[in-house]
Amino acid sequence: MIDWISIPLVGLPLLSSLVLLAFVANADGATRERLGSSIRMVSLVISLAMLTLATMMFFAQSHSTLYEALGFDKALDWTGLGFGSFNFEFRYVWIEALGIHWSVGVDALSFPMVWLTTFLLPVTIIATWNEKHASTYFPLILMMGGALIGVFVALDLFMFYVFWELTLIPMFFLILKWGGKDRKYASQKFFIYTFTASVVMLLGLVTLYFLQPDQALSYSGSWTGRTFDIPTLTAHAQQGNADGAWFLGESMQKILFVMLMLGFLVKLPSVPFHTWLPDAHVQAPTGGSMLLAGVMLKMGAYGMFRLPLAFFPHAAEHFQFWLLALGMISLVWGAIVCLGQTNLKKMVAYSSVSHMGVILIGIATMQPLGWAAALFMMFAHGIISPMLFAVCGAFKHHYHSMEIGAMRGMAKHSPWLATSMMFAWMASLGLPLLAGFVAELMMFLALWHFLAANDLSVLWMVGPALVLALTAAYYLWSMQRTIFEGGEETQPPASLNGEPVPDIADSEKFAMIILAVFTILFGVMPWIALDMMNGWTVAFFETLLIPILGGA
Amino acid sequence: METMQPFGDGFVTALAPELVLVIGMFTLMIVPNLGDAKFRIPLTQIRIPWFFGGKRGTLDSDPRLPGIFASMFFVIAFLLAALSYMNGMNVTMIETESGYDLLLVNEFSRIFELIFYGALALASIASINRIPATSRKDRSALGLYNNRRQVDFYILLMTTGLGMSIVALAQDLFLLFIGLELASFSTYVLVSFMKETKEGTEAGMKYFIVGSVASGVGLYGLSLLYLWSGSLQFTELTLAFAENGMEPLPLIALGMLLVGFGFKVSAAPFHFAAPDAYAGATSPVAGVLATASKAMGIIGLLRILLVVASPEATDGAAVWLIALAVLSAVTMTWGNLAALGSTNPKRMLAYSSVAHAGYMLAAITAIGALNWEPEHLNASNDAALAVVTALIFHLVVLVCFKLGAFLVLSILESEKGGHTLASLDGLAKREPFLAATMFIFMMSLAGVPPLSGFVSKLLVIMGIVKVALVDVTVNGDLTFSDIHWVWYLALLMVINSAISVFYYLRVGLVMFFHEPEEGREGPLPAGRSVRMAIVACLLTTLYFGVGAGQLISLCEVAANALVGAW
Repeated sequence: MIDWISIPLVGLPLLSSLVLLAFVANADGATRERLGSSIRMVSLVISLAMLTLATMMFFAQSHSTLYEALGFDKALDWTGLGFGSFNFEFRYVWIEALGIHWSVGVDALSFPMVWLTTFLLPVTIIATWNEKHASTYFPLILMMGGALIGVFVALDLFMFYVFWELTLIPMFFLILKWGGKDRKYASQKFFIYTFTASVVMLLGLVTLYFLQPDQALSYSGSWTGRTFDIPTLTAHAQQGNADGAWFLGESMQKILFVMLMLGFLVKLPSVPFHTWLPDAHVQAPTGGSMLLAGVMLKMGAYGMFRLPLAFFPHAAEHFQFWLLALGMISLVWGAIVCLGQTNLKKMVAYSSVSHMGVILIGIATMQPLGWAAALFMMFAHGIISPMLFAVCGAFKHHYHSMEIGAMRGMAKHSPWLATSMMFAWMASLGLPLLAGFVAELMMFLALWHFLAANDLSVLWMVGPALVLALTAAYYLWSMQRTIFEGGEETQPPASLNGEPVPDIADSEKFAMIILAVFTILFGVMPWIALDMMNGWTVAFFETLLIPILGGA
Repeated sequence: METMQPFGDGFVTALAPELVLVIGMFTLMIVPNLGDAKFRIPLTQIRIPWFFGGKRGTLDSDPRLPGIFASMFFVIAFLLAALSYMNGMNVTMIETESGYDLLLVNEFSRIFELIFYGALALASIASINRIPATSRKDRSALGLYNNRRQVDFYILLMTTGLGMSIVALAQDLFLLFIGLELASFSTYVLVSFMKETKEGTEAGMKYFIVGSVASGVGLYGLSLLYLWSGSLQFTELTLAFAENGMEPLPLIALGMLLVGFGFKVSAAPFHFAAPDAYAGATSPVAGVLATASKAMGIIGLLRILLVVASPEATDGAAVWLIALAVLSAVTMTWGNLAALGSTNPKRMLAYSSVAHAGYMLAAITAIGALNWEPEHLNASNDAALAVVTALIFHLVVLVCFKLGAFLVLSILESEKGGHTLASLDGLAKREPFLAATMFIFMMSLAGVPPLSGFVSKLLVIMGIVKVALVDVTVNGDLTFSDIHWVWYLALLMVINSAISVFYYLRVGLVMFFHEPEEGREGPLPAGRSVRMAIVACLLTTLYFGVGAGQLISLCEVAANALVGAW
């Protein structure tokens, strides 16, 4: 079997971006501008190749000659893939002494995220086709994609951490070089905030590493006798957690859980660690925002599933209500803040905070349904939020302003942009038959089930229900003020100086259509992704949680 | 292990790198003075060619000669040391006729020699551009100046290297101190080498005064130790500490030695001279101070502290445990907080090197926390090995990125910049490659993967955590209080590295975000050799990050030579 992950999905984007950057490193300005369009084309081709491969990996459920020729040695079963087993698993020794491996593989948890990243890369490139400084912008987008995929496919804690931090570098430069007015502040805040949380997480990981028994596990380091291998550690934690015992002891497990969760909660982000997100989003260029909201935030949720929830289910149960509270607060607070925003992009950023609250609530219910809701939310939000930011980017690009009241009666001047905006807004507020609705509905059902099972007051439902209304309110209100208001006497923004109001470019239209099609696709046929997520969640609960927590 | 006496059989092969440096020093003294001078035998007319002085040839009087020669000698010394390391070490003890240990050539001392020679070679190569020698037609004051002082500069670099290797080799505290002073005195002069500038003179003065006080205190401690034990050999001292180490006299002596070495590694509160010295010295010299000189101080600390904390000397935690823990906590926090506020990049790097000293002290503290009772001996040995490996790894890679950062600044110094953060403004527009390189060095200092700075920080944290958990057995009811408190040093280190990101990132910001200062828009000053050195630093920074495995095993062998000897 060929290692279809390391080389084409991780190595190719990273290396090609480095090569492209090195290629233009010492070229003068004119040469760079000249090379820009060919570099853009190369980046698009690479990202499309990655998307093709990831899509083929998804469809490799039947064994055909084509797949055989490509080296897929067996038909892949995504839905029935049990917990703890991976497709495309490959392992190479990296640092032998410490038990560090370059170890990759995808399961039903990570594969949707990998596919999402490969899907968003070409879409982002197309949506921001005319971005300035193309010769460095598109390689950075590629590098971002490679680093993100690296996070999702890593099956080694060290490798996971390396890619986790590596994502910061291209994003830092994307914000710093292509960002808005306060980009300096925003990029710094973004970097420091997430770095701080990650190093605390790193200390937690190292502590966990040394709490393994010496020499007892496979893939151990020749010198430390311990391993960074995630599946091995998960299996080991499973043994430790069996029969109601606490793996590593009660207080230790709680502390490590908190340390690990801190890194992920900041990345997610959850209130009160969310303040970096609006700054980063408002200042980031469109492409940066699309990847940041689309995939980078999901790293936090993905990490929770992969590490702390799998290692420390007891602690997760113990902190269940804290997580629920954090999720509720994020959900409600994000929505309330949205209402008060006058900046379109900031509003969308806070709506992301609100949606991440949904993920957190889904996790906190500790039920298969809730987790599947969280997983599907990660995926659906990954398609919808890039569209939101693409709309914001187009808005900014054409009207030179982000203020909600700056442009009125857009439907008249720019029907394409107005339609895209309406669609994206509707998708995000959870209109049935669009992807976001499925996840929200599942979360409600899971929460309801959870409340009933724990004899809790129905009043807990008030928050989320209220948020539905709030979300509709801020989206509809902002739409009304930008798209429709004005009637016959529309008001072009002052920033245009009386010039005719343009509509969006063809490349932007194309990106919007693709995103809209997939939003509808996953809204009408959610099972394409949901089946494998559900399979994974059920398997997770059967192997890890039900023996421990009892019941379901 | 072979033993031999000075100048006995095999002495030359054992100490080949050091002897190359000695030869180099003499070469540098003799070659530029070779001429057509003749010596007349008194009362006769017979003139014997004497060659020393007189009218000199064009080749040997070229002022560019010393720089090239010195760089060559450093590289040769480096290669010789590396070769002997790769080909399986021939561990050699050099002792007096009466069997008194003097110098020990083993993996531990060799890897430190590699650090020293590597750093000095890079500094010497970079100085060819930093203190440029011009053809003798240059009649400007600075040009004449620089031409005249070429030999002095490179000879001083060589004596520094020689002193440092003696420190690495020494098996006796007195010899160690001699090496330390040889290197120190050379660096005092090197720091104040730009005597025509106010900063240079001031820096040298401050560095000399504080340094000599620290040396004096250390020397006093040394004499007290000798008074108490009657010997300064490490093995003898270990035995003495094992017998009655808790007496006040040796403890006072230990404290004094801590001051002496604390200055060398620029640990707070003995670090006050460091920022001034780094800022006033030329950047390559400052880079040597921050890397090689620090490694030398760490050897001193390791030697003297491990003498007290080794399994022969003690069963439980070392006496200096609390003192060193406090010192390390204060050092890393102080360094980082001070670096936050410094706008001079060289001072910033100086404070960051104070912070790094704090991390290394934390690692040494962890060794002191180990328990040496027989039933813990194996586990403790393992943990100590991990910590020392991490220390050595850190010192090796420090040469790559910290020295590299100083070398980038040295290019800016050539255009009278480098003293303010603003002189880095818009570097990305002026020379993108250099800006990207500097950014990689900064990220490596901050500990961002996959660079070598991350691996070294990870290794130090892993070492400390390993020590903290060495006595912990997982049996279901583990609580957090079972963990040794040195774990909190790791936590403090983690928090500190989060703080440090701010000022490292700021360098990146000004390079990529700001427009170049007025008068600095053009291309950077040329300098092929310094750029070569920077590329070498860059490649090693990347390589030791991505392919850290090899270096880790090399460092482990070296650490084993120190720890396994117990």
